[in-house]
Amino acid sequence: MSAGRVFRASAALEASALVAHRGFVGLTALAAVSFLVLVSLFGLTGAYAPVALIDRDHGPMAKAFVESLGRAHHSFALRNVTEREAQAALGTGRLVGVLTIPEGFSKAIASGHTVPIEIQIDNVNVDMTEDVQRALPAAIVDFGHRQQFPGTTTRMVEHDVQAHDTGYIPYLVVSGLALDAMVIAGVLGAMATAREWERKTVTLLRLSPASRAIVLAGKLSVSAAVAFVALMLAVVVIVAVYGVIPIAPGTTVLVLGACAILFTALGAGLGALLKRTLAAVPFVFGLAMPFYVVSGSLEPIRFDGETIWRVAHLSPVYYAVGALEWAFHGLYVTPEPIYVDLLVLVGLASVAIVVTLGQLATGASR
Amino acid sequence: MIGSVWGMARNDLAVWRRSPAAIAGALLPALGMAVLVAVLTVSVGQQPVALVVQGTGPLAKHMADILREDEDAYLLEEMTEPQAEQAFAVQKVAAIIVVPEDFDQRVEATDGAVDLYLNNVDIDLSDDLRRSVTRSVAQFDAPQLSLTGELRNIASGMLLPNPYRVNVAEHDLRDTNVSFLQYQVIPIIVLIIITVGMLGTALLTARDFERGTAKLLVLSPARRSTLVMGRLLGGVVLTLMLVAPLIAAGYLTHYIERCEAGARLWVMLLLSAPCGWMLPPVSWTHALALIALLIAVTAMTVGFGTLLGVALRDVPLVTMSGLNVAAFLFFLGGGFTTVAFLPPWLQTLSRFVPTSYAIEGLRQALFYPDLTGFGRDLSVLTGCAVASVALASLALSRAWSRR
Repeated sequence: MSAGRVFRASAALEASALVAHRGFVGLTALAAVSFLVLVSLFGLTGAYAPVALIDRDHGPMAKAFVESLGRAHHSFALRNVTEREAQAALGTGRLVGVLTIPEGFSKAIASGHTVPIEIQIDNVNVDMTEDVQRALPAAIVDFGHRQQFPGTTTRMVEHDVQAHDTGYIPYLVVSGLALDAMVIAGVLGAMATAREWERKTVTLLRLSPASRAIVLAGKLSVSAAVAFVALMLAVVVIVAVYGVIPIAPGTTVLVLGACAILFTALGAGLGALLKRTLAAVPFVFGLAMPFYVVSGSLEPIRFDGETIWRVAHLSPVYYAVGALEWAFHGLYVTPEPIYVDLLVLVGLASVAIVVTLGQLATGASR
Repeated sequence: MIGSVWGMARNDLAVWRRSPAAIAGALLPALGMAVLVAVLTVSVGQQPVALVVQGTGPLAKHMADILREDEDAYLLEEMTEPQAEQAFAVQKVAAIIVVPEDFDQRVEATDGAVDLYLNNVDIDLSDDLRRSVTRSVAQFDAPQLSLTGELRNIASGMLLPNPYRVNVAEHDLRDTNVSFLQYQVIPIIVLIIITVGMLGTALLTARDFERGTAKLLVLSPARRSTLVMGRLLGGVVLTLMLVAPLIAAGYLTHYIERCEAGARLWVMLLLSAPCGWMLPPVSWTHALALIALLIAVTAMTVGFGTLLGVALRDVPLVTMSGLNVAAFLFFLGGGFTTVAFLPPWLQTLSRFVPTSYAIEGLRQALFYPDLTGFGRDLSVLTGCAVASVALASLALSRAWSRR
């Protein structure tokens, strides 16, 4: 039998198996889109601390100060509520703080006096607490500069590397795509190989005169194709729902295609080692979150320290995030060049294929 | 009857013990989430920054001292300009702060400037640094705007004027800040309950149908209602057996000396999970509230799991559905965030997710001095638990009777 026919027959068999398990495949794709949406929730609370504003002054300076609070680097989601409502919300964790502008604020400021503004902080969440503690001086500085008060001598001059900031959610959802690639392609790849042991067809495969490599290529090409389609569905969600447009659409599609193929190969290796879908699927899901966060999904991972950065190199998602953030936003989030990220993924996938072929050839039958 | 119920529960526990893959499957996503939170705890707050001090005058030195002292905001490393540029290029630092050569002269002319070279790769990181550097620079003219100043303005009762004409007087609601990991302990416990209680029971139920053991159960002399109760009891006992030691560990970690800050980084990383697990001591009323909420959410997830198993009766399908449902229950329940800080439409959506009541109630019981909202949280969870257990009993009983 020619190699082409073996490949096509194997692919057709895999396709029919996926059709038979279409519920499972559909749920895998749903999990991918869900992950994308759910991780973006983290982005929604990464900034804009909900703070109640109690303005007892209502004067022009108070108004100007509130405007400065709004300019303090996406820090505050100000809520105008009564004092009683504010205290109740603060006591039940619904607010980070209550900011009070005292009566006579405008008059005192206008006559050159310094006025204290009180803030009550629910310091239960250290991240939000620190954001508020740092943001208030930023707002005060903005207020002082805009009112052109005399006596300030120094200012900060910012020079940015990127022409514009990338929003947190646009950044997160693109790195979420790398997570999706790992989950969808990993699960489908694992299922393709683990099934050989579950159905005990691995023995037949060993007895067959056909090349195991070609049979495996046929199976995995279908898994990768399905994973790619599911990933494109996630891209549609990113473009249509989040309004994030890739700066290089062609490159994005190519990188996603590469991720689909490479993670399918990695999943196949996992399936061949674990030999059970039930074990492989939770394993992929269990690894997904730690791999996601350690791979520069929230910011370039080297900013979190050398130790974590070194550990990140063990995660294939690290390299995928590097390639995808570059393709989507033009960002370099790994110190390594993009071609190195892709080459490492190819290397990992090659090792996984060798492991899979080894297991198919000589591994235990169950 | 009690003996039969317990017998069925013991049988399910024995099946679990012999199914390491299922146990791993139920625990791995939750453990993955715990690792995620531990890593986030290490990375939240401080950013690596290079400090280049070119000015040699006393004012430049003072500015550099202000920056060096703000250890909460930066992981500052002093470098020469070429070293800083190299570190910036390979992402060893997120920003370079330069106190220029002519700083003193320009300050004298009220035109002093501190340069911030920022890798503004995403807005969250960039804004963190902008806030921090702005505060440090502001401290040069207004020392009251430092963190110490914010906290002391009230305590000292003194009001020192500053050129920006506004001071901050901060009152903290609690004595110590709760670390990010401590804050996230509750959702992780809830995630373990969801995955073990729901996914575990769903897998056992589906397995009975796949392997035909449901038929054997029905043929046993025990009454069907007894078997159903045994299945539910088994799920509850197993879940509580896994969760109780974790909560106990949360209190035992108070005795790990290495948990204190100052240990080497690798020790901190190794111990970040157990150290962060450290739960705050609570009064007996809050402890009872914790236990009641944990039992209610466990019963609810076991009921959901049984329903899922009866509905799908296919192990791979149950696994994937269970993981999807667990993800929704966790994230929309406020697992990774604080629901009250989300946009209003998401808050409304979250009200229909029962785990949001569990997470909110457990956080209230652990971190807040009163039990505001506890009655509502427990009522919703108990209602969901009763409904899911009743429906699960009915569905399981009917499914078995058709075998």
